[in-house]
Amino acid sequence: MAGRKLAEGGKPGQGALYSLMAEPSAAVRSFDAEALPHLDALYRVALRLTADPTQAEDLVQDTMLKAYRSWRQYRPGTNAKGWLLTILRNTFINDYRRRKIEPIAMDLEAVEPHALFRAVEEIDPEGTFFSRIVDEKVLEAVDALPPEFREVLVLSDVEGMSYAEIAETLELPLGTVKSRLFRARRLLQARLYAYAVEMGYIKPRESRDE
Amino acid sequence: MSDRIDCRKATEQLHDYLKREMTPELAEEIRAHLDRCKPCFNSARFEENYLRLLESCGRQRCPGTLRARIVALLQVEAERD
Repeated sequence: MAGRKLAEGGKPGQGALYSLMAEPSAAVRSFDAEALPHLDALYRVALRLTADPTQAEDLVQDTMLKAYRSWRQYRPGTNAKGWLLTILRNTFINDYRRRKIEPIAMDLEAVEPHALFRAVEEIDPEGTFFSRIVDEKVLEAVDALPPEFREVLVLSDVEGMSYAEIAETLELPLGTVKSRLFRARRLLQARLYAYAVEMGYIKPRESRDE
Repeated sequence: MSDRIDCRKATEQLHDYLKREMTPELAEEIRAHLDRCKPCFNSARFEENYLRLLESCGRQRCPGTLRARIVALLQVEAERD
């Protein structure tokens, strides 16, 4: 067989699409090199947004088709991951979010529980209980966060994007990203702690009277 | 150097410090505070463990069937151009 073998995947930067086509265009080549490597991240974020594996797959598929069709608008060598995630998020908001007009369940600015560390510093100062919580349970707790908190937290702390990249992706001011992240982390920590207590991973000291 | 960062300020900025989301000057001030203040140093270790926990959730991969389906769809799309 004269064609390239899929298993070998071609040279670095040449992905699945490139190797399938006899004469890939420049657009196919750059999409292959810059967009397809982010499929894993797109799928993870889609899972967190939809909390449903089937919907997540559809969302990623729709996103990649839209991205390919508007690939000309992407400037090569810039932040492809952020560009793709913006499409994913907008697609999610426009086409997937079932409960359209949903009053925000809580005042986001008001959420500012105390730092968890102060509550556990005498019983588990290093937070070893965190490592006993399995990934699946951590992700369930992430999924239960208010959407405005969930998206910044996933992009920052799970996907490792910088605050500036997140601000660009979500089209939010940097200050908003930072304040949401601050509150999202505290809220998530409080919930992980509650779960760890429930499971007996950590034993709270008897609550002191105020 | 005087300790211009108090514990409350240090605690509020620990995540930004650990994620290197601050100016080198501020990072240096926080580091100096952590060197001096045992409770805040412990707090930083605690937050580091928390961040590590979340990072470890980022290993999930896109299913192979989905990847194959997308590549096939894109191929049809590309050949139409």
